[in-house]
Amino acid sequence: MDLPTLQPFFEDKPELLQEILDRYPLGGRRSALMPLMWEVQRAERHVSEARLHEIADIVGVTATEAKGVMSFYSTFHEHPVGRFHLQVCRTLSCKLAGGDELYRALVAETGLVSGETDAAGTFSLQNVECLGSCGTGPVLQVNDTYHERVTRTRLAELLAEMRAGHEPAPTRERGGDNVSAQKAARAEPAAEPAAGGPAEGPADAPADAPGGSSDEEGGAA
Amino acid sequence: MSAVADKPAAITSRFDPRFEVTLYRHVGVDGAHTLEHYRARGGYRAAEKALTTMTPTQVIDEVKASGLRGRGGAGFPAGLKWSFMPPIDGRQRFIVCNGDESEPGSFKDRYLMEDDPHQLIEGMLIAGWAIQATIGILYVRGEYYLAYERMRAAIAEARAAGLLGRGVFATEAEGEGDEATPASPGFDFDIILHRGAGAYICGEETALMNSFEGLRANPRLKPPFPAQAGVYGRPTTINNVESFCSVTHIIGRGAAWYAAMGTDDSKGTKLYQLSGPVARPGVYEMPMGATFRELIFDLGGGPTEPAKAIIPGGSSTPMLPWSDETLDLPMDYGTMAKVGSMLGTGGVIVVPESQCMVDAMANVVRFYAHESCGKCTPCREGVATWLPKMYQKLLAGLGTREDLTLMEEMVRNLRGTAFCPLADACAMPVAASFQHFRHEYEHLVDHGQPKYPTVSRWAE
Repeated sequence: MDLPTLQPFFEDKPELLQEILDRYPLGGRRSALMPLMWEVQRAERHVSEARLHEIADIVGVTATEAKGVMSFYSTFHEHPVGRFHLQVCRTLSCKLAGGDELYRALVAETGLVSGETDAAGTFSLQNVECLGSCGTGPVLQVNDTYHERVTRTRLAELLAEMRAGHEPAPTRERGGDNVSAQKAARAEPAAEPAAGGPAEGPADAPADAPGGSSDEEGGAA
Repeated sequence: MSAVADKPAAITSRFDPRFEVTLYRHVGVDGAHTLEHYRARGGYRAAEKALTTMTPTQVIDEVKASGLRGRGGAGFPAGLKWSFMPPIDGRQRFIVCNGDESEPGSFKDRYLMEDDPHQLIEGMLIAGWAIQATIGILYVRGEYYLAYERMRAAIAEARAAGLLGRGVFATEAEGEGDEATPASPGFDFDIILHRGAGAYICGEETALMNSFEGLRANPRLKPPFPAQAGVYGRPTTINNVESFCSVTHIIGRGAAWYAAMGTDDSKGTKLYQLSGPVARPGVYEMPMGATFRELIFDLGGGPTEPAKAIIPGGSSTPMLPWSDETLDLPMDYGTMAKVGSMLGTGGVIVVPESQCMVDAMANVVRFYAHESCGKCTPCREGVATWLPKMYQKLLAGLGTREDLTLMEEMVRNLRGTAFCPLADACAMPVAASFQHFRHEYEHLVDHGQPKYPTVSRWAE
């Protein structure tokens, strides 16, 4: 990837820089460290040494301090990740839904192991810990998007899309009260004006909750 | 009849006709994250009520009366925590929302932030008024990008509508003479949205504050507690996403409504999360005191294969053996403590019979090893180094009976000796696995093979 490292990242983005710095109270400039790293990483898929120095200068800390912060967090990358950064959850609930096998399938498909990026810069693979999607495992995070209940078939579709150069569209998996709420909303056609305040908000009949949501439920069984 | 006899029985079942889904009523509904949707259903009326008709002390008293206990895992009474704030002395005060949900098995807060962001903003606004903090901080874990985007859009909507910013719910003077209502300047309140970057330890309140300040997220020494010296050393109160959302309804409907649900020491409605091999996993809202059976069978459709253990509240809580007695336990703070476990976040994980318990615990230990911040010796050496290596040895078929004794001893030595609760969070489930499933460990070291070999769990 060509990185114009000679030009400071925020040099031509003064408004963005100011917006980020202004988020924090006076004396809290250091709080902008992580948001600035996020901006760089979203654009360049990693935070290089040069960018780190730039961010440290903006915030007023040493580059060593900034690096200390960056290295603490597992989602900041020192080296560029692929255009499609594949993050597989491997924690218990996903493991019980086949997370380990999902990871091995990705190893076989991409030829990468966790921490690697392919030569073309298309894919990178990372084993990650709990993504907070335990009811809809196994989960694969592609860049910023969650793909839940990734079955063998679904994985093949996702990979085909990415190989064709498309970022796969997010699909929303549902479970539990997600399903019943959707049902209740369908059952209640028009948005009811708030006549009686919260006490009369649309109630979700408890008896509706468990059954009959098969149309929206994936391969839990 | 005495007044006591007249008091209706507490609501402890989702199927009680008086119970209704409240915190999750908009979750899963398309478009529910917009201000328009939220206001059309009575949104921000609770905040208006608190800011225009109640004093901060009255709000705190109402939350105390509701019996709300913090939903982040520790279960500390929320109203009491708020009352720890020092008297107003001109220093900036902060109300912080912990949206760093990362305890394995927990996934309730993500949906709250994605699908009902205004419910959370309203709760933070009320809490800000209660402790007189003019700045709210919402810390969202880095992986929750959709939640972050939805919260960012919702905060912008609320600012544009005057629900955040200067003079929220300001009123002009009305009437004349004795009937006059004086003008009210309203309340100045805004929210800073901050995104984490993948570190479980940021769920620990002081680590979160360090992370927000742009430091490495090592926990801080307590005392001083956040109320004395929190964000930037200023008085701070921190609560979980679900706690703030609960506050919205406690103020909107009253403490009595909330306290009518639940058991003696655990009041209100709670989001339970169900994962593992069950027919319908997901988040289910239930009154406190509902049983595992109701969650796993009546709502979750039951396990899809024989089960042997229940992890009651996220992977750090000691597991309970699968039995009729366990299934009939009410899921509340007191009962879980009595049986030697914790309610935690209410993230219930069902462990199937066919899953080797040593392998499962190796997974849990690897999680805590990965997330140990390395600040203190017991956790760095015990959790991050020795325990995962011992599990590696066992799973490679090279373990001995002495190793098992050594592991039990290590776990005992970890309890209460580390700087923050992370080491306990790792030691407790390991100890429980030895208590209930030592025979699986013994089988593995005696035969060099696990009692339950790995099976495929991945759906086609």
